Amino acid sequence: MAIVAQTSKLGIYGRPALAWIVALVFFFPIFWLILTSFKTDADAVKPEFLFFFTPTLDNYLNMTENYDYWRFATNSVVTSVLATGVALFVGIPAAYAMAFNPARHTKDILMWMLSTKMLPAAAVLYPMTFLAKSLGIFDTHFAVILVLTLVNLPIVVWMLFTYFKEIPKDIIEAGQMDGVNTWGEIKEILIPLAWGGIASTALLCFIFCWNEAYWTVRLTTTEAATLSKLIEGNRAPEGLFFGRLSAVSAAAVGPIVVLGWFCQKQLVQGLTFGAVK
Amino acid sequence: MSSRRLPRLLQAPAVILLLFWMLVPLGMTLFFSFIRYVLASLNRPEWTTPSIDNWRGFGNYAFVLDSKDFLFAIQNSLLIVGGILFLTVFFGVMIAVLINKVFPGQGIVRVLLISPFFIMPAVNAVLWINMILDPVLGLNGLAIEGINSVIASMRDAPVVGWFFSLWPEFKPISFRATQTSAYAVIMMVTWQWTPFAVLIFMTSLQSEDEQQKEAAILDGAGKWSQFRFLTLPHLARPMAIVVMIQAIFHLSLYAEIEIVSRGNGNKNLPYLIGEFANNNIGAASATGIFAVILANIVAIFLLRAVGKTLME
Repeated sequence: MAIVAQTSKLGIYGRPALAWIVALVFFFPIFWLILTSFKTDADAVKPEFLFFFTPTLDNYLNMTENYDYWRFATNSVVTSVLATGVALFVGIPAAYAMAFNPARHTKDILMWMLSTKMLPAAAVLYPMTFLAKSLGIFDTHFAVILVLTLVNLPIVVWMLFTYFKEIPKDIIEAGQMDGVNTWGEIKEILIPLAWGGIASTALLCFIFCWNEAYWTVRLTTTEAATLSKLIEGNRAPEGLFFGRLSAVSAAAVGPIVVLGWFCQKQLVQGLTFGAVK
Repeated sequence: MSSRRLPRLLQAPAVILLLFWMLVPLGMTLFFSFIRYVLASLNRPEWTTPSIDNWRGFGNYAFVLDSKDFLFAIQNSLLIVGGILFLTVFFGVMIAVLINKVFPGQGIVRVLLISPFFIMPAVNAVLWINMILDPVLGLNGLAIEGINSVIASMRDAPVVGWFFSLWPEFKPISFRATQTSAYAVIMMVTWQWTPFAVLIFMTSLQSEDEQQKEAAILDGAGKWSQFRFLTLPHLARPMAIVVMIQAIFHLSLYAEIEIVSRGNGNKNLPYLIGEFANNNIGAASATGIFAVILANIVAIFLLRAVGKTLME
């Protein structure tokens, strides 16, 4: 057959080989970060120890001492989990109403929500700092959670909406016939049915919160500072502490990269608002 | 409760929160952009409180437009965003086409490729500018030092020594100057966002019409013309979406610039706003309004493209 004949030997071996090379090149900086994290600070800047060195775990064992890692990590976990929770708590009813009782303006509201996401954060930098300081919530978990919720709410509503739309309306209406109230409908019917979609929305929202690097840096100093702030504050331009800096960086991104592997597919939908299928 | 009021009630918290988020800070920025407002001033203490009495009209805008930094920041923003967009779309299409067919280890290749996207921006910047690009202590410097020492040792070797004695000493490029640090930012963000483009193009390629392709092959179309006349047109829409979403994200790039630049003059609009906001809030706000306008121009196109598929 013509189609088979076109696949040359080069095609059979060349394509996978090239694909592997590309993948390894892209992964290399992460590999390098992990490798450096097992070197002592002194070894990390010596050319003779580029690849062959005596590995050490000290950088990881001393993370608390060197950087107070766990305090920042706790802040990251607390703010990301709570912001995701609040965003879902507000987002699920909104997306439910939009998907099952669409009104004339539903489309406009969705578009408008999306447009808030396009507001450049820097444009409202000073007002947010001003508001946070005058309300006495600057550098508190509350402020960080509030901002992270607001920043991610459009994506959460949008993603949930695209998932809910797939659920047949009849099932929800059958529930209405049985006299279940709205809260019951959401709890008993919608959430079990859309569990997968809600979980991946939550996962993606959590990742975005964790990686957020504008507001978490600008609205915190010490108390509510997250891992982004920790790394940003220890950029070490003189390269004195490459070993320990690599370790704390690897610890900051490790869990999220692994989580990310599980939601590649949802990422496409979440970031393109369902426009690419 | 009537069936019309309930949906509105359910949407209300989300709408009110976002309305607050959009109107209050942006309204304040707009107000501050029309008044004289500084954080500290010995001569004019009355300017340190935001008040309508300090009305300046479009004075802040004129001040910002006149400053050299503003033009440079706009140019640099466009250079950085444009560079990233071109590279991510180019590599994204190439890699997506490359790994779209089934081959051994495809799953692992995908996992390795997507990983950079989940690295937090601060770590991305620290990793690249220090561990990789530093001209002395980073991989950049270490590798070049290694090459130089190999060449130096070869100079004493018999027979081939004269050949290596002709070689110059290599010098690593520094990525801490104004212009080169912009390239460093382009490099690290391209590394992070190419996986995103790959992921989207791959999703789109899976819906490509196989029958059409087979017909083209039977008609004797070569690999290049299949790619040029079938695959590329099929990817036109996802490309537009990748470009617009990235444009919106990268116009507000901050952590990378902050970490890489360190006051060496490499700045974009958000960074310039941050600089102004250290004292001159009026100017920072006027710059902020310019940033909003710039983002809106991009956003209008994106919303149109997304809006079409919304209610399908």
